[in-house]
Parts: sequence; structure tokens; C-alpha cells
Amino acid sequence: MKLEIPALKMNQKLQTFIGLSILLFGFKFFIASSDSTAYMLIDDVLVGLTVITFVFYLKDWMHLKKVNPLSLVMNIGILSALIFLLITFSGAINSSLAINNSPNSLRTNFISNLVTFIYSFIILGSLSYIFLAFRELYSFKQKRDIKTYFNTMVVFFILASYSTLLQQNADLLYIKDTFFIISILLIIINSIKISWIAFIVKREKKILLFLSIIIAILFVSNIVKISNQSPNMLGQFSPILNQFFKIIGIYGSIYFSILFFTTLFHIPTAEAFDRKAQEVTSLQYFSKLITEVLDFDDLVRTITDIAAKLSNADAAWIAWKEGDGLKSVGNNSIGFLDADLITFFVAENKEKYDLNETVFISLDRFRKKSQLGESFSNITVSPLRAHNELKGYLLTGKKNNFLFDDEDKNALDTFSDYASVAIENSRLFEESIIKERLEKELDLAREVQRKILPSKNPDYEGLTISTVFIPAFEVGGDYYDFFEIDKYNFGFVIADVSGKGISAAFIMAEVKGIFESLSKTIKTPKNILIKANEILQRTLDRKNFVSAAYGFLDVKNETMLISRAGHCPIILIRNNAIENLRPSGIGLGLNFSEHFSNTLEEIKIDLRENDIVVLYTDGITEAKNKLLEDFGSDLFEKILIENCDKDADDIANKVIREVTLFSQNHPQHDDITLVILKWKQKLKIDGEKEWQNSALQPKI
Amino acid sequence: MAEFSTSTKDLGGVSIIYLQGYLDAHTAPSLENTFSNLIENGKYCTVVNFKELAYISSAGLGVFMAFIEKMRENNGDIKLTSMSEKVYNIFDLLGFPLLYEIYKTEDEAVNKFIESKNLEK
Repeated sequence: MKLEIPALKMNQKLQTFIGLSILLFGFKFFIASSDSTAYMLIDDVLVGLTVITFVFYLKDWMHLKKVNPLSLVMNIGILSALIFLLITFSGAINSSLAINNSPNSLRTNFISNLVTFIYSFIILGSLSYIFLAFRELYSFKQKRDIKTYFNTMVVFFILASYSTLLQQNADLLYIKDTFFIISILLIIINSIKISWIAFIVKREKKILLFLSIIIAILFVSNIVKISNQSPNMLGQFSPILNQFFKIIGIYGSIYFSILFFTTLFHIPTAEAFDRKAQEVTSLQYFSKLITEVLDFDDLVRTITDIAAKLSNADAAWIAWKEGDGLKSVGNNSIGFLDADLITFFVAENKEKYDLNETVFISLDRFRKKSQLGESFSNITVSPLRAHNELKGYLLTGKKNNFLFDDEDKNALDTFSDYASVAIENSRLFEESIIKERLEKELDLAREVQRKILPSKNPDYEGLTISTVFIPAFEVGGDYYDFFEIDKYNFGFVIADVSGKGISAAFIMAEVKGIFESLSKTIKTPKNILIKANEILQRTLDRKNFVSAAYGFLDVKNETMLISRAGHCPIILIRNNAIENLRPSGIGLGLNFSEHFSNTLEEIKIDLRENDIVVLYTDGITEAKNKLLEDFGSDLFEKILIENCDKDADDIANKVIREVTLFSQNHPQHDDITLVILKWKQKLKIDGEKEWQNSALQPKI
Repeated sequence: MAEFSTSTKDLGGVSIIYLQGYLDAHTAPSLENTFSNLIENGKYCTVVNFKELAYISSAGLGVFMAFIEKMRENNGDIKLTSMSEKVYNIFDLLGFPLLYEIYKTEDEAVNKFIESKNLEK
């Protein structure tokens, strides 16, 4: 039924209704009644309009509130009882008015008219509400749109009501009867399917059974009374309204009789239905828990919310294991202080209860009960487990000595299992996010490292350089570089930043910047390292440090200057013998006092033909096999000696092959860096000119 | 990766930390906790016994750097003892012997503390 007048707002409808009522009042009181058709027509149209505007107004009003079928039924019952009383007393009022005064007295007439008017208006209002309530009940929980049936019925209601106007003419009486009978048939059809009964709980069904029989009797007696009443005040006021009253009365009688029997048949299955409905809702909750909520904080809130609903508790919270203690999370309707107090009480008496499943605990023995902000008296405790490990407890509490029952226990037992799975899911999800982020970070770290390392080696006459760098999965923080200063001089550095991953990569980038700029201005390795240490003091964490070895090579004078700040020794191979060069020096970032510069040594090497200088990081010597044995410096030196007559690239390849073979069954944990410089004595020509004119020119 | 554990013992006001296993970036926080606890309890004289430590990485070395200053500010120290040759070599390369007192035995280190305390008196 389309009861919408969009143009009119609610209070406009009320104004229209009041206006029409006043008009009706005026019409009834100030225009002499007559039997003329025109008078009756105006009268009935006014009454009809008043009813309709009131119905519209009431409809809006009803839609403002959330209605449930049981309260509608209750209201219908109250109104029908009111009508019952009105009708019962109306006879007495009417007769007393008639006896005391002469019928022609104007005053009496006015009073009796007024009484009739008020009486009729109360009935009119009640009828409107009852009608709308039926309409609501009708459309409640209907799956298809079957309002057409109802609308048809309403049309026949109006027709049947208005056809009473034709009753003076006996020939046309059949029209009235026909409409009336059709209305009743439609009422029966429309009353049969009452689908909302299935959706109310057992207790409500019992109440409904009781109510429906009383209301049905009230409706029947109302019809009987009003039909037998003489004079009929409502009939005097408006025959149409009287007819409408009868129709609604019949609707009520039929509807509530059917409702009574329907409810009666529903009662035996009510409990089973309730349980099924509960299970379905719980299942919905569970699946929602497991699939949707992945954020831990949201999850615990949802869990406690559901737990409280499932067990009809006043409050719920989770005592989550953190370290050795329990921490309250996801508190639902309980303060943290109360929750902590109760949790502590449970933890204290853990041995007394078997906490492997849901248990009930009374707080009677709880000494600090008086400290609680609210009067919790009984609680349940359910364990939350993931992978057989206790993660915490789910607690619910009831106030004011209300008890939990076995159904609550069963529900909580099942639910806490689901909740545990959900919590575990959320934890795994968080872990996978962290893992993904770490992998992204590592990608970035590798990218940084790749860009920092030199793309090609410098090319100087008489010198071959070979470099190998093998990054570890986690990015170990190795760094090497060359700084070409002029035709005959270049600097080289090898460094290992403590730590791994993105933080190591950033320090590496900083270290590169420092050495890059210092190499242009400072001429000795020792001073470069001292200055680098000074600069690093500003940015380096106390935990972090950088081991480095810096060297300057002068190809013209065939000398090499080397300083070492905490790095692996520099290996010099000369005449088939290994020499580990270990000038003293503390790692960069370990000490920022004069101690650093005082202990830092610088050594000078005069290069000879076939001298090999090897720089490396501990990724080589600490490479491990599956027995966790180190590759070791002995093996490393042995390989270097055996291959020292080869050129730089071959030596490097040999070393890396051996390291790879050694550690093939063990993942590489640290970056591997190897830099080999091999000095081939050039033709000794004195003076710069000759040097420049020689066949092999340095490419700078 | 293999496990790492620490245990602490008090000997005449000197705290001795025993390290065991593999000290690297993953296990370093455990040692950091041990040091933090000592500092919280006002114990600044510490001897670290490396006898059962199999391996130490650069992150492991960083732990000592993080706490040495705090200890020394409070007239305490971290003295290192009983290192295997391999572990000592790692410390040595980085120049730790220039920064820390490293002793062969635990007793030597503890006695050093006691001597310095007697001197103060």
C-alpha cells in the first residue's frame, strides 16, 4: 500500500487532520442534521478524510520507532480493551443523558452531541492505529511483496464502508452485502499466512498465545456489543465509521483466532527453532571472525563482543599472556581495573580450577570484591590455545548474582576454540606482512649496495685488479671502492659495516660519501681514517661500527701506504710467501677519543715485481659448511699461495670456487668481498717523459 | 642458527656474565637485556666470560660498545675473559684490546676489580 504523500511533512499531516476534525466538529454542531443526500455525502466524505489523514499521520509516527510484532499485538490488545470499555459504558452514558433531560433541550442536545463526538473520535483514533498495526504485522518478515493483496482488501474495506449509504434503498442492499462478504474473504486470505511467528523466541510465543486468545475474544465481543447497542452512538455519529469498525473488528477476530492456532502449532517446535537460529547466528559470527577480522585489536574486541552475547553475560574480556603476566585486552563493558583485579584473582587460584575448558567461578571468595567498580558476582574462564600453547583466557562476567548455565558453557567452549583459531590467523597474517616488508627492505638494501659499489675497476699501467663481490641474502654491509686521484695515484678502501639489511646499507652509503670526499683532499690513509672516524661520530649509533682498511697506491714510485681500522689483515704475497699486514688500529665508530688516532698505524710497502695484495672481508674466512666449520684463514692462505703465479682474475676465481664448494650445503650469511691487486713491474724508464711515451699508456 | 644463552652470577659485588653459543644479530637482544638489568640494579662492575661462546658477529660486538660507556661513567667496567683463540682474533682485529681489558681467566678480571676497589678505599 502506497501511503505516501511526499509533499506533506509529518506535522503538516497533523495540521490537516486537526483542521479536518474542526471542520467536522463545526459541521456536526452548527449545521442542522437532515436526511438529505447532500448532507450525508458531505458528512461521510469529511469522516472518511479525517480517518485517512489520521492514518497517514500515524503511519509516519509509527515509522519513527522500531516496532516488533509482539509490542504491536500488545498495543492492539490495549486499544481493543479500551474500545470494549467505551462501548460498555457508552450505553449507560447515553441512557442517563436521555432520561434526565427532555430530548428537545438544546443544551442536552449539545452535550450529547459532544459526548458522541469525543467517543467517536477516540474510537476513530484507536481504529486507525489498529488498522496500521495490522498492516505492519501483515508485512512483517514477508519474503515477497504481497502488498497488492492488502491494498485490494483496503479498497474493499472502503467500498464496504461507504456502501452503507445505500442501505435506505432495499434494492441496492445486495451491493453492501457483496462488498462486505468479499472483504471478509479477503481478510481470511490475508490472515492465513502469518510468517513472523517463526522468528520470535519461545518465551514470546507463550505470551503471544495468551494474548491472541484474549484479543480475539475482545474483538468478537466488541462487534457483538456494538451491533446490539441501541441507540448506537457510533452509528449515529457516522454509519460509515460504524461499518469500518465492524470490518476491523472482524479482521481482528479472524486474525487473532488464526494467530492463536498458528502459535499453538509453533510452540512444540519453538525450542528447537530457537536453538537452530542461535546456531546459525553463532556460525555467522564464527565465520566472520575467521575470515574478516585480521587486525589483532579489532579481533579481540569482536571476540569479547560475541562472547558476551553468546553467554548472556554483562561483560567480557581477554586476559592475554604477555611475558609472565596476563594483560586485559578487548574489554567489553568492563573497566581495565575491574578486569585486572578479577584476572589476577583467577591467576592466583589457577591450581584450584581445571582451566583446560570453560569453568564457572563464583567471586564470593574474592577478597577484593569490594574494590570492584561494578558488582560482578560470577565469571566464566575459557582457555585460548594455539598450537597447543596457552595464549590466554577468555573471561565473561555477570553482575548481581546472576548465574551461568550449561548452555553458556557449551557455547563458550565451542566459541573459544574458534576464537583461538582466529587469533592465530591474525598473528600469522601479521607475521606474513612483516616478512613481506622485510623482503621489500632487503630488496632496497641490495639495490643501494649495488649502486654504491664501483661498476668498473681502475686501469693503471703495471697493475691488474680483480674484484669479486657476492652479496648475502640479508645484505651484509660489505663495501669496497677505488678513488682515482691522478695519473699515478689512486686510493682503495674495503670496509664492513656492522649489522645487516637496510640499516647497514644506509651506513654503507654514508661511508662511501665520506671516503669519496676525503680521498680528494687528504693524502695519507691514516689521516683519512682519523677524519672518517670523526665524521662518523655524529651519525653512528653506539652499537654500530665499521671496520675498514684504506690504501694509497703510487704506481710511479711503486709504493703503497696502508692503514687498517679494525679490518681483516691485508695479505701481501711475495716470493711465494704470505705476509699478514696488521698495522694497529681500532674499528671506526668504536672510540672517538685521541686513543683512536694514537693507536692507528700506517705502513709503507715498496712494491716489487709480482707482489700480490689481497683485501677481503670475513665473509670468506667465516664461510661455513654444513658442520658449521669455518673456511678459515689457513685454507684461504693455502689457496692463495698455490695460485700466486696466476694473474689476479684467476686467483680470485680460484678462491671463490673453493669457498663456494666448501659452503655449498650451507646458506651464505655474510657478504663476500675479495679485492686482489697484482703488481707487474713495468719497464723502468726514468723520468716522466719516457713514461708517457712508452707503448702502454695509463688510461685515466 | 644455534642457540645462545647467558647466565649471571654475583661474586663480591662483581657480576659475571657467562655466554654460551652463538652471539649474532638475532641473539644480541638477549645479551642487551642482561646488561640493561645489571645497570638497572646499579651493578656496573662486569666480567664477561667467553669460555663457552662459539661465535660472535659484528652485531654481537656492538652490544659491548652500547654499554661500556654507561658502566665506566659509574666507576665500573666491562672486562672480558676466557676467550677462545678464534673469538679473541675477532676482537683483536677490531682493536678491542685497545679499548677493553681482556684477561685469560675470570679470576684475574675479578681480582682487578677488587684491587681497584681497595685502591679507592
